[in-house]
Amino acid sequence: MRISTRPAAAIMSLSLAAAVLSGCSTEQAGGGGDTAAADGACEASKVRLVGQVRNESNPYEASWLNGGDTFAKSVGLTQERLTYGGDSTKQQEQISQILAGDTKCLVMNVLPNGDSDTAPIVKGADQAGAYLVTQWNKPADLKPADHKTWLSHITYNGEESGQQIGDALAEKIGSGGIIALQGVLDTAAAKDRFKGLQASLAKNPDMKLLDQQAANFSRAEALTVTKTLLAKHGDKVKGIWAANDDMALGALEALQQAGKSGKVAVAGIDAVPDAVAAIQKGDMTATVSSDGAWQGAIGLAIGFCYATGKLKVADTAADNRAFFAKQFLITQENAAEFAQPKTDPADFECGNVFNRKVGPLT
Amino acid sequence: MSFRDAGPPVALIVIFGLFAVLSPQFRSLTNVQNIVDSAAVLAVVTCGITFVLMMGSIDLSAAGVMGASALTVSLLVANNRNDNDFGFLAIVAAVLLGCVFGGLSGLALVLLKVPSFMATLGVSAVGLGVATLMFAGVQPNISDTMLESWAVERFLGFSYLAWIAAACILLGWLIQRYTRLGRYAYAIGGAEEVLTLSGVKVKPYKVAVFVFAGAFYGLGGVMVTSQLGAGLVQAGNGYDFSAITAAVVGGTLLTGGRGGVLHSAVGVLLVMVLTNGLVQIGVSPYWQGGVEGVIVVAAVAAAVIPQRRRNQVVK
Repeated sequence: MRISTRPAAAIMSLSLAAAVLSGCSTEQAGGGGDTAAADGACEASKVRLVGQVRNESNPYEASWLNGGDTFAKSVGLTQERLTYGGDSTKQQEQISQILAGDTKCLVMNVLPNGDSDTAPIVKGADQAGAYLVTQWNKPADLKPADHKTWLSHITYNGEESGQQIGDALAEKIGSGGIIALQGVLDTAAAKDRFKGLQASLAKNPDMKLLDQQAANFSRAEALTVTKTLLAKHGDKVKGIWAANDDMALGALEALQQAGKSGKVAVAGIDAVPDAVAAIQKGDMTATVSSDGAWQGAIGLAIGFCYATGKLKVADTAADNRAFFAKQFLITQENAAEFAQPKTDPADFECGNVFNRKVGPLT
Repeated sequence: MSFRDAGPPVALIVIFGLFAVLSPQFRSLTNVQNIVDSAAVLAVVTCGITFVLMMGSIDLSAAGVMGASALTVSLLVANNRNDNDFGFLAIVAAVLLGCVFGGLSGLALVLLKVPSFMATLGVSAVGLGVATLMFAGVQPNISDTMLESWAVERFLGFSYLAWIAAACILLGWLIQRYTRLGRYAYAIGGAEEVLTLSGVKVKPYKVAVFVFAGAFYGLGGVMVTSQLGAGLVQAGNGYDFSAITAAVVGGTLLTGGRGGVLHSAVGVLLVMVLTNGLVQIGVSPYWQGGVEGVIVVAAVAAAVIPQRRRNQVVK
């Protein structure tokens, strides 16, 4: 018995140490918060803001959390930054821990790991009465309109972005062959973006798709795959369409190593800072921005507006409960504006939070 | 190499020949250069992991160690995040960091008796954590000319990275063949009890093997950084299992005591020829993953045919 308790004791003491550490780094948010009794009548200072993304090890999600911080600061609060390392189980654990605390004025802006992870998060938030905004991933049959505190689901039209960069490539190269680097093939983002490319190919008959390969959204894999495809198709390759910027940047390295820098047009999606810089320099042709900083702030802003009663669920148009948000095509002309991720406080006024809606999510 | 070890090289030649017949682009000189260049990082990582596997342990720390080393080197050479410009010293520092992580795995194994599988998995997580802290939201892009030249410049048709990998394989082979460290790694994998009973203190050698492997992962992280021109937390993504796969395909047994650096080098080439060839002959990306898996299993099965004994237990 003594022996079997040892690992438990070790884990407990380590967790205690971790708890002490976290106590130093984050302030206890909310405190009691018992005063806000009725739905949507929280004092602004009692609202607890939580932003959750996969990890902080990529610029996009880092800018997301920073956008959330900026918003929180603008209303005199701090955002609790949660990351779950792309691990669905860990995401659920974090959500249940948050929901086990004080949930009366809780606002969560969540990036679910995958479609199937959204349902348990929504269920938990429903039971606890926490305000929830989700982004990117949800199953089609699960709708915020059927829930009271799941305020909104925001996503982006991948077909549109895939087509936009396809058209930008066509404009740049005129005619000739391109290769496509696909993302993780069984994700909606990869499928939609590739569908967009196909639409663009149909529109620009002079542009031919020579080959398409999966590089799983990874810079390193894109490097290898691009080198292989350059060896296969040689000078016929005039453009490279990548389903995200990491792969586009990998393709740029491959071009450099093959001595073809600047001779092949490259386009990606996501607008990571390095890609925007590459566009400014003219190394890359185009990318599409969903505006990560805005995403990190808008979820909290929507939740904050409902929690403080400035917006009411009953008065909200059905379109606003699940929508495609506006995305921006970045080319050399406008790249300078996107060089630094920044947010405009006016976007997060309660009257403006749905301004970037470009269409309902059906 | 005895007849017993002939399986993987034969498989390599057969697969290479098959792709060469099927696709004229595959047998082009550019593509062969390309295969060798692409194999460089995996070769270095596999070299390190081979010593651990020979010992009968397993090492899953490559991904984390490479991430930490990639961030370290990219922040210490000329980059866009700070004013450091330590050049070659930065590379040494990254490799030493790899040694430290390897040492942690080894110490956890021999002192705390944590199985190597768990110890190295933990160290990998620590490495990724350290890398994420150093990453701090902004990707460090390197502008160090020496490090950048490794991936771009060529000597006798192959990139510097490929030559570095070749040097590592040679070094690994020499150590495996002629030093006590290499010989004991074999012996520990073959019969640790016998070795202990004959009065050899195995623990320091176990730690040393992990430190040595860590150095290779550290170098691997540096090489990925050179290839990608930036320090990525995900620099080592997937290398842990690809390296184990390559080592096993090459004929290094997971139970230890058999195989070696040259076997692993053949395994690495086999894996790279396979991924490259499938693209060159135009197998749809939707099929590639599955086809690759089947061929790997078939290659391992073919490779171990000469070693198969009746009543042999495989776990």
